Amino acid sequence: MITFKQLSKYYPTKQGRRHVFKDINLSLPMDKSIGVLGPNGAGKSTLIKILGGADYPSRGKVVSPLKISWPLGLRGGLQGSMSGRENVRFVARIHGFTNTKVVEEKVSQFAEIGIYFDEPVKTYSSGMRARVAFGLTMAFDFDFDVLLVDELTAVGDTNFKKKSEKVLKDKYENTKVIMVNHSANELKKYCQAGLLIKDQNLHYFDEIDHAIQEYQSCYVTH
Amino acid sequence: MQNSSEMIHGIPRRNAFKIMCDTVHALLMREVKARFGSSKLGYFWVIAEPLAQAAVLGLLFTLIGRNSFANVPVALFLFTGILPFKLFSKLLSQLSVGIASNKALFAYRQVAPIDPVITRFVIEIATYAIVYLVIMAALAWLGFDVVPDQLLPFFMANGLLIIISFGLGLALCAAVQEWEDTPKLLAMVLTPMFYLSGVFFAATMIPAQYWYLLTWNPIFHIIELSRDAYFVSYTTPVGDWRYVMLCALVLLFLGLGLYRINRVRFSA
Repeated sequence: MITFKQLSKYYPTKQGRRHVFKDINLSLPMDKSIGVLGPNGAGKSTLIKILGGADYPSRGKVVSPLKISWPLGLRGGLQGSMSGRENVRFVARIHGFTNTKVVEEKVSQFAEIGIYFDEPVKTYSSGMRARVAFGLTMAFDFDFDVLLVDELTAVGDTNFKKKSEKVLKDKYENTKVIMVNHSANELKKYCQAGLLIKDQNLHYFDEIDHAIQEYQSCYVTH
Repeated sequence: MQNSSEMIHGIPRRNAFKIMCDTVHALLMREVKARFGSSKLGYFWVIAEPLAQAAVLGLLFTLIGRNSFANVPVALFLFTGILPFKLFSKLLSQLSVGIASNKALFAYRQVAPIDPVITRFVIEIATYAIVYLVIMAALAWLGFDVVPDQLLPFFMANGLLIIISFGLGLALCAAVQEWEDTPKLLAMVLTPMFYLSGVFFAATMIPAQYWYLLTWNPIFHIIELSRDAYFVSYTTPVGDWRYVMLCALVLLFLGLGLYRINRVRFSA
């Protein structure tokens, strides 16, 4: 269960405060994986960031007894000047691992990027970044009840897509996913429930199809 | 849920302080590697920089025919000014961009904005202590009497310097958040500060009617007071503990207050 309590998020702009979310009171049951829907700029990434503790709500709060991952995305998370291995080591350390070797090896095996694992992340292609970012979560797989995925599976070759799909499916029993993706098919593949961002508020749908229908009737011009 | 996640991979649930310690440790390993590991001479430059500065100033004073200040050998006198000032300027320039240059890491909920600031603080203090010891050991080997005359006031002056630098550094983090050109301004301010802090002169060497030009500066007081503690032959006519303590208190509160106000904005 993830509960939003009086949550508001706004950004100061030249035209004054612009609310992304306004007074949200909602409980997500988290018995199903959730696909987040909304047009560009509606606040999908902001939502993921707030859930992952990478950003703070302006008012109100999110409460949950669950272990939620950090936002797995292409931006942020991995630092460009450090190598893939150093990034992994850092993340392992802040999670309290003293022996980081095991984690490093696990990620290295999942990512399959060879010698690039020891090169700075800024030299990576976006596919390689995704491989490391995703492998990183896999190394802590048992840790998280909820995995936050922000447009991550969108990049990467067929091989990687297959691999990450398999991993996500395998963990399906224990780990739920909250996912942002612009492809409705991708969302349907991983998620059973949907969350639509509309009028600075969140609308939860038990069926992803209903959420997609509602999204299309609201936002897609025919 | 609470019970099932009690132990993961044999790692117990951590309290907030343990998480902070783990994070600072992780940042420490990262920063040290980035700072010193990139070139083989990394550690050498840390010591070479104040040495070169002291050598240039020492040479100048020797050329104009001085070999002691207030009965203190020139080299020792210069180092007791250069080293604390180096710590001050290094702490300010490092701490002020500590938050801005680690933003990518705030994506992890374990990393709070103050963690990289604490990390850099620890690194600078440790480096300072080592450089101090190495330089003083070398001077002792050359035959100088390098042990401070009064240890307690000496450490107290350094402690106050550290508190002032930490408070100002945190306040500058907030300033950098507000205006990204702050580090440039800081660099411009630190240069005249070098001349206004009594690094290469003591209060007794300038006429009393001009002291007011320097006595607003807590760093000047600190260097005066630490020399007073260091050398039995030097007694500072201006150094004022109460003023320095007041500055330390005010700046620490200013820094912590600005951090508290801005802590949500730092990760944006």
